[in-house]
Amino acid sequence: MSLLKSDPNAPQAWVGDLPVTSRYTYGLAGERFFRAIKDEGRILGSYCPKCEITYVPGRVFCERCLSELDEWVDAGTQGEVHTYTLLYVDHDGNPLEHPRLVAFIRLGDGGLIHNLGEVEPEEIFIGMPVEAVFKPQAERQGSILDIAYFRPA
Amino acid sequence: MTSKIKHFPGTALSEEDFAQGKVLFSHDELKADFAWDTGTGIGAYLAGLKNGILLGSYCTTCRKTVIPPRTVCEMCFRPMQDYVQLKDTGTVNTFSLCYVTWDVKRITEPEIPAVIEIDGASPLHGILHKLGEVDPHQVHIGMRVQAVWKPAEERQGAITDILYFKPVEVEA
Repeated sequence: MSLLKSDPNAPQAWVGDLPVTSRYTYGLAGERFFRAIKDEGRILGSYCPKCEITYVPGRVFCERCLSELDEWVDAGTQGEVHTYTLLYVDHDGNPLEHPRLVAFIRLGDGGLIHNLGEVEPEEIFIGMPVEAVFKPQAERQGSILDIAYFRPA
Repeated sequence: MTSKIKHFPGTALSEEDFAQGKVLFSHDELKADFAWDTGTGIGAYLAGLKNGILLGSYCTTCRKTVIPPRTVCEMCFRPMQDYVQLKDTGTVNTFSLCYVTWDVKRITEPEIPAVIEIDGASPLHGILHKLGEVDPHQVHIGMRVQAVWKPAEERQGAITDILYFKPVEVEA
């Protein structure tokens, strides 16, 4: 017995790509939330009077009591750093000299995951008050990235 | 089935709604490039296709010929003895009339994927390909078919170097 021989003319690798695209619509609550960011530069939440919870981002029903929520409130643009991380690698695993600063920022009884800016990594602490920095209105597209980052307030 | 349903609950959105900015949305494209190492067997198979040849491999222990060629016999796990050049004719083992494209668009003329047992390979050994130059209603299991190749200068060493399999006249 002998092993099958490799063909010297054989292609070493089969190269391709998968055309994976998606289009995500935000739904009833998401539409309202992102519309407010885009058009008004406001962060909206929704309030459940029964559970006394302000959801941020706003949603159409209460996660606790499942009742429909129609009381939308302005959550303001200031919150505080609930937790944060310094990212020294990018999406592809390449090392970064300057870390990306990512934090969960408390707003109302919820909050947003977003980037921190105008701050040095060593200055960040849990509980730090921060405020949203919006992109100029003309550049906003109805995305969470319409907020450029949060900076110390 | 879905053609029988007249009304779907919910909010229908048209392309126009997106174009006019009536709804917000985010578009994403996953970067999904890949390179798959062909290995010895499939490498030789693809090189063969470029030359208009279908290759299999033969196990002396099991007296079995498989296509595409494997380096190791899947029955006895011993190394395969040698490559075997097979004919480009075969028999339809199973098929499907497919009225949607791979990216789920409706089509009126069906694509006809089929498993074709290749002549020279052991019984029930074949490859998945498409049928062409055939009336969908005439396709049947056991139908004799032959490969229709791309012109030699257009072949790339890919399974698509065969355009499709077409029916052949059976000698009485």
